[in-house]
Order: sequence, then C-alpha cells, then structure tokens
Amino acid sequence: MNDTHDESDLVVRLGAAAGDGIQSGGEMIARTLSRAGLYISTYNGNQSVIRGGLVWFHVHAAPWRVTSLGFGIDFLIPLTQLCYDEHHDSVKKGGFVIYDPASVKANPMPDGAKGIEVPLAELALKHDKRPIMRNTVAAGALASAIGLDFKVLSEVIRDQFGRKETDVVRNNVAAAKDGYDLVAKEYGVVKRLPFDYSTRRPLLHADYALALGAAAAGCRFYAAYPMSPASPIVHWMAAHARKLGITVFLGEDEISVVNATIGASFAGARSMCATSGGGFALMQEAIGEAAMTETPLVVVDVMRAGPSTGLPTKTSQGDLNMVMGIAQDDFPRAVIAPRNPQESFYVAGRAFNLAERFQLPVIILLDFAIADGGFCSLDRLDFRMPIDRGKLLEKGDPSLTNGVWFKRFSFTPDHVSPRALPGTPGMMFVAKTDEHDEYGHDLSDVLSGLSEYVKLRERMHEKRMKKLDVMRKEMALPELYGPDRADLTVVSWGSSANPVREALRPLWRSGLKVNSLEFTDLFPLRSDEVTKILKECNELLDVEVNYTGQFAGFLRKETGVNISKRFLKYNGEPIYPAEVERAARGALAREVPAVV
Amino acid sequence: MYSPKPFESDVKPDWCPGCGDFGVIASLKDALATLGLEPHKVVVVSGIGCSSNLPGYIRTYGFHGLHGRPVPVAVGIKSANPRLTVIATAGDGDEYGIGFNHVVHAARRNDDIKLIVMNNEIYGLTTGQLSPTSKLGQKTKTTPNGSMIYPLKPLPTLLGAGATFLSRGFSGDPKHLSKLIQEAIKHRGFALVDVISPCITWHNIFDEVRKHVYRLEDKGYSPDDPSSALKAMWDELGIPIGVFYRTEDRPTFQEMLAEENGGRWPVDGVRPLEPQLAEEIVDQYY
Repeated sequence: MNDTHDESDLVVRLGAAAGDGIQSGGEMIARTLSRAGLYISTYNGNQSVIRGGLVWFHVHAAPWRVTSLGFGIDFLIPLTQLCYDEHHDSVKKGGFVIYDPASVKANPMPDGAKGIEVPLAELALKHDKRPIMRNTVAAGALASAIGLDFKVLSEVIRDQFGRKETDVVRNNVAAAKDGYDLVAKEYGVVKRLPFDYSTRRPLLHADYALALGAAAAGCRFYAAYPMSPASPIVHWMAAHARKLGITVFLGEDEISVVNATIGASFAGARSMCATSGGGFALMQEAIGEAAMTETPLVVVDVMRAGPSTGLPTKTSQGDLNMVMGIAQDDFPRAVIAPRNPQESFYVAGRAFNLAERFQLPVIILLDFAIADGGFCSLDRLDFRMPIDRGKLLEKGDPSLTNGVWFKRFSFTPDHVSPRALPGTPGMMFVAKTDEHDEYGHDLSDVLSGLSEYVKLRERMHEKRMKKLDVMRKEMALPELYGPDRADLTVVSWGSSANPVREALRPLWRSGLKVNSLEFTDLFPLRSDEVTKILKECNELLDVEVNYTGQFAGFLRKETGVNISKRFLKYNGEPIYPAEVERAARGALAREVPAVV
Repeated sequence: MYSPKPFESDVKPDWCPGCGDFGVIASLKDALATLGLEPHKVVVVSGIGCSSNLPGYIRTYGFHGLHGRPVPVAVGIKSANPRLTVIATAGDGDEYGIGFNHVVHAARRNDDIKLIVMNNEIYGLTTGQLSPTSKLGQKTKTTPNGSMIYPLKPLPTLLGAGATFLSRGFSGDPKHLSKLIQEAIKHRGFALVDVISPCITWHNIFDEVRKHVYRLEDKGYSPDDPSSALKAMWDELGIPIGVFYRTEDRPTFQEMLAEENGGRWPVDGVRPLEPQLAEEIVDQYY
C-alpha cells in the first residue's frame, strides 16, 4: 500500500498510548482541515482501555468528497515507538513521518518517505508541567508542513478547549505555534493542497448525526445503557437535554431501556434507544413485544466486532442476521443501514415516520466505522423534517368503540389500525403481547383453539405481517453509483459502501468499468426489483464486514441470486479502499486482461 | 359518592373461582373510584402470569407486556406523560424473580409509579413451581421434598434500595387493601403494595394467613422510621399488613427529569426543531 494514487488528497495518522490525547489531537487536525475547505473522513483506531496500549486517529482530507481512509499515509505522526513500528509500513512513497527523535526511532524510514524531526516533548514542556500537549505541537507542525494558515488552527484550538481565553487555550495555541514555526524554519511547506478558507462544512460522526436527526424529527425521549460504540448518542442527548427539552433515561439494563422506550412510545412520545450487539441481544424479546402490541419503536444497533463481548472498539457488520431474525415467530419490522453520518440524520427522521405509520419496530444499523470517531463532512442539513404520525387519533371517536373498549387492532384495508393515546377520553384498550382480538383482549387462554378464534388468530397474524407488503413499496432501492453499465458491480450495504466509493477512483483511472450498488433500506426488500437489478449485472462482488457474507446470504434468500465473489473482512479493522480495489481487479481478472 | 362502574369491563376474569386476585381487582376498582380518577387517565401495566391478566378486566388504558417487565414500561409511560396515573400490577415471579432488578432501581430512583404485586408464593399459570417468595419447606412441582431455599423478603430488600412507600395488603381484606392502594396512589413517588393473594389451586394459604394476619395500625404503628419499619417487616411469626414505611422527603424521578427537560414532556414535544435552535446546534460542529 505504498503507491500514491491521488495527489489531490491528504492522509494523516496520529498515534500514541491511550491517555496521550490522540482523539483530541486527531479531532483538532480534522477540524482544522475542514475549516480549510476540505472534505473530511476520519477513523478512530481506538482501544478498549483508558490508559496505555496503542490508539490512533486517521484523517483523510481532500477537495473532493472523501468517504473512507484513502490510500496509504502522507503524514504519520507517531508519538510512541509502538505506533511507529505498527504503522510506518503504510506511509506512502513521498510521505512524511513527523516525530520526536527523543522518543521515537524512525528506523528504518519507509521507502521513499522523509522524516520531519520535531522535539515534541521539549516544546510541549515549555507550556505545561506534563508533556500532554505533544499532540498540539504535532498539529502545529503538520499545519506548517502543508502550508495551512496558523490562524485556522488557533481558532480550532480555541473552540475545542472552551471558546474562552483560559490558560489551557493560551498554552495550547503557544505550543502549536512552536511546532508550526520550527517546521516553517527548518522544512518549509512539503505538500501543497488547495485550501479554501471561505468554505466549511459541519463535521459529525454517525452517532451525533443520528441523534440530531432524531431530535429534528421530534424525538424527546431517549433511553440507553452505556455500551461502545453507541454511547456518544446518549452523551449527545444528555448534553442537549436542557436546550431541547429531551427526557433522557439511563436504565438499569438494556431490557429496562427498550421497555421504557416502548412505554414512552405507547404514551405518545417519539422515543428511541440505542445499543450495540450485546445490548441488542437483550432487547430482542421486547422488540417482539413492540411488534405484537403494534407500538412504534425505533432501536439503533451500533455494531462492533463480536461475538459476545468481542472487540468493543473495533468495527463489524456482523449483527445483520440477528436483526433480521429477532425473537419468536414472525413479526414485521423495518431494517435500515445508513451509509454515512449525513444519511444517518435523515434515516432517523424516516425511521420515526415508518414506525408510527406502520406501528412496528424500526431498526437502524450503524457501525463503529462511521459512529464513535468516524467523522465525516456533511452538506447543509435540511431541518424541515416531515413528521407523519400515521393513523393517530387526536380525539376520541365513539364509532370506533363498543361503548366499553376501543377497537385498537381493527382490521383495515392497509392493515394499519387507528391508534389512540392514553389520556384520550373513551378510547381505552389493552396493548397485549398475548394474541388478542380487535379490542386487545386475550385469545390466548379460554378462547384459544376454539374454531372461531383459531380463525381470528390467523387474521391477526396476517394483519401484522401484511403491513410489510404496504411498507415495502416505500422502501428505497439500492443506489447505483458510477456508470449504468459495468463489467463489475460491487454490492455493499451500510458503511461498507464508503471504501468502495474510494476504490472506484483508481479503478476508473485504469479504464475499468466498475460501479457500486449500495443498499441502505435492507428490509422489507423490494425483492422483485432487486432481483432484476442483480440479474442485469455482468459480474457481482459482495463487500461486507463479517465472516459469512450475511447480506449476500440475505440477498440470495430474497432474490435467488448468489454472489459467489466476496470480499469479507472480520479482523476488527476497517475495510481499506485498496483492499476493495484489489478484490475488484481480482474479480475482473477472468474476463478483463490485467490492466495494472 | 363514588361508583366503580366506569372501571367495569365487559370481559370476565379467567381466574380460578375463589382466586385471591378477585379481591385485588375489586380493591383496585374501589380505590380508583374513591379517588375520583377517570378511566382514561389511568394506565395499568402488567407482566405475565395469572395476575397479570388483570388489564382488560378493569376499564382503563392497559399494557399487558412481557414477563417481569411491567416496571420499565410503566417508567417509560410516566416519564413521557406524568399527567397519567401509572400502576403496574404483576405477580411475585414477575417482580421478585425475573424482573426484580427493575423494581430495585425504580425504588432507588423513586419513579412515581405504583406497583401492586399479587404475591402467591408460587408460579401458578405454569402449574406450580417454586417462586422467589416460596417458603422454606414448601412442596412444589420443582421441590417435591420441600424447598431448601430461603425466601426473598421484598419489603426489607426494597427498604434498603431506598423505596419511599412500602406496604403489604391481603386480598382477603379488600376494604383495607383498597385503602392501601389509595394511599399508594396518593404517595408522591414509588409505592409498593405487596399483596398476599393466595393461589387456591397450587398453594392455598387463605386459612393460614387469616390466622396470623394483623393490621399494623391496630398496634399503634407509625410508618415514618426506617429502623422500626425493618423490625415490623421482619415479623416471621405473624403477618402484618398496612403501611410499613413512607417518606416524601425525596424528589420523584419525574421531578428530577423535569429539572433537565424543563417540564417539557415527551408527549407534548413531537415537532421539528425550531430553525434557529437547529442552526445553533449545528454551529458547534464546524
């Protein structure tokens, strides 16, 4: 991975031990580049430790829309020897290593790379008793090496450390300036990028963007139990609770969390909860409860590598089979996997509308790659989020009752029944997890098995399931990115579309005809149309982050099309565009003579 | 002047004739009517088991949920719309077994919900297995030679968890039970009414309870001190009923939530963000 594929972008990786301020330094660099008008995509090479180990933060920036990690590293900033040893092989020809010779031996220097020696600790210690500001000095050195206006970096530091002229701000700005000046004097500008200081874009990861989208869609009840990488959502909600009037409930476990979310929704709130795979596993019975009681529910699973506790801070798309097969027997649900933070914002809004209109659980799948630390530049967000609460009655309607009870689960042509909220006079009903009649009364005990009620159970089961047929028509087809016709179509879902997008650039430059078929709405699938789309493709390559090709398996079940060529990754690390590029070239090799 | 009629359902309970739960539902209807509550402003949430079939036998909004989970559902309802009276009704398996974690934490947070546990010391609907409150020596289908496990004492346990209202009633004394339920509903915060509600099929202890039951108030007991409450709860010879402990000197969880959400409750907030507010929030991400 040492060819410079694209001169117009910049890849920076900063790494050290946990507790050395890598995330903070990485975000500082990302934000500074963003304010210089570049598109940003980051990856958080985090570990599940508070101090020690090796953590790294990866920033890809360019004047064109980046979506993934780029190809190789232009600037490696190892604050520890371990970081150097682990990452120097990824530095490109013509790349640089910014390091402190007092703590890192850059030996051997990667082929074709140059060292930029900066006494990071010495400069940091000028401004604080501890060398914690090494990251800031390094950020200053980097800004200088790429010819970036120091003012932009100093503004970012000011905003990051509290927008006040405190000692922390002053010291960090001074430390950054020292790094900046030293590199300017001894090395000058070593790589030039087209900066545009008049353009800036919001930089959010998918956890934050989803939280923001939920709030924009009227979500005012949020419940959670701490679990990486979903925790930034509850942090966001708690931080904005007072400003936006959001009720945040940190439950005693995920079972409590999901049941409270269902209770709040039953009461009439737009409510949401999020977790990762382990927490989601605990929530499954209650997700069936929401489906059976036809209570709207939005649940988010921010996937991480499993099974079981797995790798808490590493990425995976391994929970697809779980969400497709949740809980007992058949029940309707929707499953949506936004590809990036921008899409997460809008998917949150759609999820609430689908949940309320069809009165069923909607599951949103994010993953570590785009969530906790996977910042990405957003375009302008449209906050005029349409709110559609479906067949929600605003007041009582005696014609829908028998004088005692409301026919909450009435049979209708579209299988969705009018819904009333507790507090509405005269519309009492029971939301029941037992099989029930149209009023919500038991069919499960003294009536079960009696011929009339056998029939009624059948109709009730069909009523719930047939909502899927109506909802299916509204689900989006996969997006086809690139040329309409191609020799190879790369199939991906959710965040795995991001490295595919970046891999297409070098493939296209080689004259290869490749496009990308990206699924966001996963279930219910418009199977007939998707079958047609897949069958019209010349060659297919499945790209996803799990061992068995869970999505390819799902597509085979739904369409009969088996995608035999697969690039599957399950070591916890993100998919790199170069890996997709290689897999695509390999998949084409049979029919297309090797181009490279 | 009151009438339980607005709370009457057209669905008849499927409980065994003579079941203790009949006394509980009669007391609940009586309590709601006496307090002048309206059916549409009350939500009864239940779990799974004979006793949890109760919503639907009483005409209020109902949520008949999963085994052990009525408390978190009730917490969600109350936190989304505190104007509702939210009552969880369930059995000892639900609340002292599979879902006890939720009860401990609802007590600790002081959620403003009421929990009525129909405690029959047995798993009834699954045909008679050992429950968390089954007595030492109790013969059940899973302990044919008598239980060797010490039964859970829910009241002292929840006293330690910080519950602000702890009481016990007996379904064989529905008038007294109705008063207890009224006290619980009027209480500002989490209130537990543990009801001895015998299972006449699998563990009929009506006669034994009648023999040993006594009312705390008849002994001049005053429920305002945790250490005397503990002592009263610990009586292993007699069966005291009444309010053991009550305090309103702690805020409810919903009052705490109001500190954060500014009293803007989730059910009233289903609308988009104001554009200026949205811009302010996005501004921090540039």
